[in-house]
Amino acid sequence: MAALDADTWAALRGAFPSALPIDADPSGPVVPVDLHVAVARFLKESLGFTMYVTVVASHWPQADGSDRFEVATVLRRPSNPSVTAAWRLQIGPEAEVPTLFPLFAGADWQEREQFDLVGVRFTGHPDLRRLMMPEDWEGHPLRKSYAIDTPHPPWR
Amino acid sequence: MAVDESGRPYAHPLYDTLDHFPGLSLATTSLDRLLSWSATNSLWIFPMATSCCAIEFMTSAANRVDIDQMGAVIRPTPRHCDVMVVAGTITVKMAPRVKKLWEQMPEPKWCIAMGSCAISGDFYRDIYSVIPGIDTVVPVDVYIPGCPPNADQVLVGLKRLQEKVELHRRGLVPARDGRPEHDKMIDPAIGRVTDADRDASTTEQQLAASRDLGLGGNSRRASDTPSSRQGGVDEEAT
Amino acid sequence: MGSSTSHGAAPPPPAPTRDVRPLRMRVNPFLDIDQYDPEADLMALNMGPQHPSTHGVFRIKLFIDGEVVVKAVPYPGYLHRGVEKLCEKLTFAQLVPIVDKHDYVAPMTNEQAIVRVVEEALKIEVPRRARVLRTILAELQRIASHLLWLGTFTLDIGGTIGGGASVMMYTFRERELILDLFEMLTGARFHYNTHTPGGNRHDVPVGWPERVKKVCDVIAARLPEYTAACTDNDVFDLRSRGVGVIDAATALELGLSGPNLRASGVDHDLRRDAPYHAYDEVGVNVAVATDGDCWARYIVRMAEMEESLRIVRLLIDDIPQGPITALKPVKLHTQIKVPAGQHYAAIDTPRGELGTYLIGGGAEKGAAAFRLKIRPPSLHAMAALPWILPGNTVSDVVAILGSLDPIMGEVDR
Ligand code: SF4
Repeated sequence: MAALDADTWAALRGAFPSALPIDADPSGPVVPVDLHVAVARFLKESLGFTMYVTVVASHWPQADGSDRFEVATVLRRPSNPSVTAAWRLQIGPEAEVPTLFPLFAGADWQEREQFDLVGVRFTGHPDLRRLMMPEDWEGHPLRKSYAIDTPHPPWR
Repeated sequence: MAVDESGRPYAHPLYDTLDHFPGLSLATTSLDRLLSWSATNSLWIFPMATSCCAIEFMTSAANRVDIDQMGAVIRPTPRHCDVMVVAGTITVKMAPRVKKLWEQMPEPKWCIAMGSCAISGDFYRDIYSVIPGIDTVVPVDVYIPGCPPNADQVLVGLKRLQEKVELHRRGLVPARDGRPEHDKMIDPAIGRVTDADRDASTTEQQLAASRDLGLGGNSRRASDTPSSRQGGVDEEAT
Repeated sequence: MGSSTSHGAAPPPPAPTRDVRPLRMRVNPFLDIDQYDPEADLMALNMGPQHPSTHGVFRIKLFIDGEVVVKAVPYPGYLHRGVEKLCEKLTFAQLVPIVDKHDYVAPMTNEQAIVRVVEEALKIEVPRRARVLRTILAELQRIASHLLWLGTFTLDIGGTIGGGASVMMYTFRERELILDLFEMLTGARFHYNTHTPGGNRHDVPVGWPERVKKVCDVIAARLPEYTAACTDNDVFDLRSRGVGVIDAATALELGLSGPNLRASGVDHDLRRDAPYHAYDEVGVNVAVATDGDCWARYIVRMAEMEESLRIVRLLIDDIPQGPITALKPVKLHTQIKVPAGQHYAAIDTPRGELGTYLIGGGAEKGAAAFRLKIRPPSLHAMAALPWILPGNTVSDVVAILGSLDPIMGEVDR
């Protein structure tokens, strides 16, 4: 499934003509970080993508040892037929993206989870704490540099 | 608690009352048997139910399998219960709570590890957030293997535990407190049993003892010889 | 509503109603508790992580003023098993038994969700026989899951050793019938491992369709018993009606899905709106209720069970002939490779939209995922708690939690 259907992509290109590439990427377009909230607002308010689906952060270690991160956001239009819209942000080692909490209440926990597991900070989030791991946990388990069997004395 | 000089395997306030009436040793022996019988057949279960195995544990409490037929009562509070059934994966975040709840249970107490996760961590064993088996945190008496074990296997596990409780009540198996083998296995640096130190010898001994007594099948009746039921001296208990 | 004014009669006095503005506008889940009225009878109450009505291990810290909750801070993660990390190590054929353990009340649909994203990424056309069989399994699983939900929900609002336990005994009786069907098909009571990318592993055994039909008849005959035990029960009514209201806009914002969303009046069901398996052949009548309270969630689930029975009965008679899997039997489990690229696919499980976001091109030239994120419906349902709970009494907390049908294995993964 393409991440954006043709109509949505056309409307989105029309709204942000200079910032977006001409061809839709089947994996979801890469959007500049400063347009993140504007794109989400446009999709929600103008195109009816009112349902918050998910946010996925991933860690891409580079050959030169630096870190890069990607944050994909998925929204859904709860109509018949129902389609999703996904777009991506690519960020460097500072790992900071603006939060979508003012637009979508569901972003609260999803962003906390991604912060917990991947270590991407969502600026402007009202309560950015760890969600899954204990508060005093060290490291972010889903980073590629984190060994899967990291011991945690005294329990394992 | 070990067997004290009075030859009683455990304390009970009724003993104090009976001590005021000399010549009632016959009654105390019968009382032993009564308490042993009642303790064995009315185990109250504290379900430490965390994940999928918990659903199967619930099924064992529901009508098809019906754990009530073993006299077991499920009470979701540690202070009333004799047996903790650990059904499900225990994570690093949960393990301190399990330990705390275990400590809140009154002595004597037992623990059943239900399912591969509670036994060894299953395939989550090597994951950063899962502890490799609940017996690294609390001592386990009976293991019920499976992912998840079928609901009726819970009954088999409970049966095994009843045999063990009976042995313990007669002083044939030392109670957990002061059980030297277990203390020896606890690594003082980290306050728990390390994975490498675990061994099955304790359980083997107990199983052997159980076989010698002929407790393999229906424990209560096999050992209830007519003479002991008539109030004769119970060699096994003394 | 409007009738009394149109007749010119005096409008009825406004009932002492609750605040009906959207939750988003009237609740502040991040209330600073230090700023709360110092005169109030404020108390912090910890519920969980080991609490019989949290459906697993889940902790909520409640700040209560007298009997009314003013702030709720949930703490999930007591069952975080790191599955997403494990998924980066295992190949796609090995994933299926792992994801079984997420939503352990409906393992069948978990498997379907994960194999669907692989099929979607590789553009595999699943044979029609497998699609019909998957539809039947998904609907049977929906009935089993809703039955378990009904049993535990009535247990929650009826007390552990009270009258509430009787409904649970009934629902488990029927659930066992469905588990027997699954056992006949796959050999396991749950954690089936019967789906695989491209098709199913276990074909329909002889006599299975007849047995399914019999079970459907039994359950259809017994559903009215539940209506009698719950719908007609005053206590059930009082404990659930008007409790834990979620409005449609907030529900969508929170990402609620499945019966929880439909109970808030949003007519949205992936089975109808983005059909997969064989749902486009049968058509799905989506059950919707408008109140958004515990009662509405109950009504929606009961109606869904009826609808599932209809779908199963429709399909069971003529399961099409043909192969059951599109792929040749794999000799090596590393044979299924997903190239780099990002895919999202979702299905409607008994709890809602279970999606999988897959970034391909991981270890072993794509035999494992680079990153795999499960989008669990229960996590979104739990994220609604800080919004719904304030303003309700402590006793309603249990009812609300139960009515959202959370499965902690799925929340924490
Ligand atoms: S042993 Fe299997 S069924 Fe039991 S908790 Fe672990 S994964 Fe779930």
